[in-house]
Amino acid sequence: MEKSRKAIVLQSSPYLVWSILFIIVPLFMVLYYGLTDAEGNFTLANIAAIAQPEQAKAFGLALALALAATAICFLLAYPLAMILARGRAGERGLVTTLFLLPMWMNFLLRTFAWMTILEDGGVLNGILTSLGLPAAHIINTSGAIIIGMVYNFLPFMILPLYNALASIDENVINAARDLGATAAQTFFRVILPLSVPGILSGITMVFIPSLTTFAISTLLGGSKILLIGNIIEQEFTLSYDWNLGSGLSLVLMVFVIINIVISGITDRKEEAHR
Amino acid sequence: MRRTLERIYMALILIFMYLPIAVMIVLSFNSSKSRTVWGGFTFQWYISLFKDATILNALANTLLIALISTLAATFIGTLTCVAMYRMRRPGRAFFTGVSNIPMINADIVTGISLMLLFRALHFDQGFATVLLAHITFNIPYVLLNVWPKMKSLSPSTYEAALDLGASPFLAFRKAVLPELAPSIVAGALMAFTMSIDDFIITYFTKGAGFDTLSTMIYAQVKRGVHPQIYALSTLLFAAVVTVLILSGRVRKRSGAPGKKADYQKRRVKNRILACTAAAAAGAIVVLGLLYGGVFSDAGNKVYVYNAGDYIDPSVITQFEEETGIEVVYDEFDSNELMYAKLAQDDSAYDVICPSDYMISRLIQEDLIQPLDFDAMPDATQYIGSQYYKSAQAFDPGNRYAVPYCWGTVGILYNTKMVDEPVTSWDILWDPKYSGQILMQDSIRDCLMVALKKDGFSANSTDEAQVAQAAQDLIDQRPLVQAYVIDQARDKMIGNEAAMAVIYSGEAIYCARENPDLAYVVPDEGSNVWIDAWCVTKDAKNAQNAQTWINFMCRPDIALKNFEYITYSTPNIAAQEIIEDEQIRNSPIAFPDQSVLDRCETFVYLGEKADRMYSNYWKKIKSGS
Repeated sequence: MEKSRKAIVLQSSPYLVWSILFIIVPLFMVLYYGLTDAEGNFTLANIAAIAQPEQAKAFGLALALALAATAICFLLAYPLAMILARGRAGERGLVTTLFLLPMWMNFLLRTFAWMTILEDGGVLNGILTSLGLPAAHIINTSGAIIIGMVYNFLPFMILPLYNALASIDENVINAARDLGATAAQTFFRVILPLSVPGILSGITMVFIPSLTTFAISTLLGGSKILLIGNIIEQEFTLSYDWNLGSGLSLVLMVFVIINIVISGITDRKEEAHR
Repeated sequence: MRRTLERIYMALILIFMYLPIAVMIVLSFNSSKSRTVWGGFTFQWYISLFKDATILNALANTLLIALISTLAATFIGTLTCVAMYRMRRPGRAFFTGVSNIPMINADIVTGISLMLLFRALHFDQGFATVLLAHITFNIPYVLLNVWPKMKSLSPSTYEAALDLGASPFLAFRKAVLPELAPSIVAGALMAFTMSIDDFIITYFTKGAGFDTLSTMIYAQVKRGVHPQIYALSTLLFAAVVTVLILSGRVRKRSGAPGKKADYQKRRVKNRILACTAAAAAGAIVVLGLLYGGVFSDAGNKVYVYNAGDYIDPSVITQFEEETGIEVVYDEFDSNELMYAKLAQDDSAYDVICPSDYMISRLIQEDLIQPLDFDAMPDATQYIGSQYYKSAQAFDPGNRYAVPYCWGTVGILYNTKMVDEPVTSWDILWDPKYSGQILMQDSIRDCLMVALKKDGFSANSTDEAQVAQAAQDLIDQRPLVQAYVIDQARDKMIGNEAAMAVIYSGEAIYCARENPDLAYVVPDEGSNVWIDAWCVTKDAKNAQNAQTWINFMCRPDIALKNFEYITYSTPNIAAQEIIEDEQIRNSPIAFPDQSVLDRCETFVYLGEKADRMYSNYWKKIKSGS
């Protein structure tokens, strides 16, 4: 017993030290900067700054765009995940690779490619006009940013949904059918509830990066559309106001905490069921 | 019917996922540098890619960081899972919780928090800090894959092995590891992919002169991507696809029923395999860290911080060859960004190239040092005295700065899209050109346009005047296609916009590429600017910095730079040897005195006015 205790300590200490040094301490530093002013005095001004018109507008816009992107990702991914989940088990690896593969082309380059596609004289309008359709003005609008978000984060929605749906026992669905449930009833009362953990993790994986991105809005918004991520980035690189930047980051952390709480609750429920 | 619909749906999503990749691949074979014009099929970018030291260096950084961070994360992550298996609930909860943080937390917050830590510890930011950051966000991906599998293992096989007399390590290796192997590989693969694809965390934790592919591309995207990057990405992508297809084949074959296993032989083979793998991993780590300069100390180097695309790259190699000094070259997008870097750590760079108003600020704040002109004979001999005279406006007594480039700001317009004569800034507010106007994404330049239009000084500190100018710019926003820096060039050449506020040097380049473009300095007046070399106060290599500045003043070098970047040179000797007569006498490059008389030089406005400008700028950009 004594020996195995030692082994546990030995095996777990590298990550214990690592996580304290590189995860927890840095977060406390953000907290410290966010709650102090340039002279190091305590203040809440950096957090209250979110209510100022420039920040509030950027934050509201980021929320709206992130919500839209998350909703679109969900609506696109759920049917796809259902189709894939019914496929053969051997296809699982193929699916994962197929949707992870684009990540091997650099994220910024892929987004940059969308610029070429969406531009007024770009690929999409070339196709539209050759079909005799009117050209669409998309680049440098909110629409372009949403497309960029959906594109970049769709795989993060597909994979957890697919995992959740694929792990549903076929017998449960058959049982529902046998007991006379219609296809719609089976879906809403059996499949959908059972896939909730996947839905939640998919939403987190799409919503948080969308809410906080600054690269996508810079590239596809023509620097005309400022999101909260752009403001924070500017505070650190341009205005050199670390306190304000940290304060605004803390506001973003609120969403992360909400998220942890929700997934914690569902985890516990899940464990209670077992 | 249903199956076909499903197939179509899947196909549509796959097209959506792979369309941008197809675009990249097509562009990598496009002989035109512009994204929007197809200039014919070529392999030239693939060939020049292998001569481009900066890109290859960034590629090496990216791969090494991905490899080392994956190895480290896989080791630590698996070890942690093993420990968690025998832990009680609170211990497990701590580790799953803490590893969730980097995954759920916004990348920007993770990046910033690590940056604050490294700053506080006075870590030199570069290879090592990026590596630490990548290991930090990679471990959770290993846990994510390995822990669920570990949790599901029954302890009995392991205990049985112990009962049969195996040592704990042997028992682990024989009874547990084979079960875990697929999840460990999956975790490592995921970590590697995330590391390669990461931009935001790297962006905040990288230091001076260090780039991975992501950060290099981000810098380039703002000013036009070099086609070599498309070629490189295509190659990387093709390599990954090949590896995947091959490994799929191998897996299929090994899955087939084979010969009867010879355990004795296999054990030897396995042991050899394990030893080679461990040795290879160790070698990668050690060589990588050596390459990353983690152990090396500063040699004979000079750290140069210049504006983007502001030098002929061959000049840098020539300097290295002739002087034996290694150049660490880094680029900034705007003076303000450069200032932020310098204010953080003044010793990060030795020699910098800011603009006039920023130089006066740097002098006031004691961030640059007086130069020793005796050590730079070419700087006194070849730079025209009239330029030193104008430089007095921001550098009284000419003690701190050696002029590098100068020019005006004006409107570049497409004569096919604009019929009326362009003489005034007012045309930028003409609703007729809605969506056809490009503005500069830079505080002082953008506000200058509105201030001048309203008849005020470009250096106004009067809040009412600045407020009025800002309001004008907010009213103008709906007409503006985009706020850009160097992208204006590509867009104007590609006929993507009718007019742009642009620097004269860019105008020369654009007019050369697209003869429909014309440049004018509006009648209300504009800004005449000078960019000059300075040496930072805490430069570690001040001597080398002055050697660099002197080198830049050599007529043949100044001419080389002028021909590459097309910004007017203050080097009199170089001006005389410009071969192209049209350019030598170009009114854009070397305007009349009458044009210069209506232009103002920017000066530093002081901290208070600076903050006011910043606030209005945020309002303009967010449109509120």
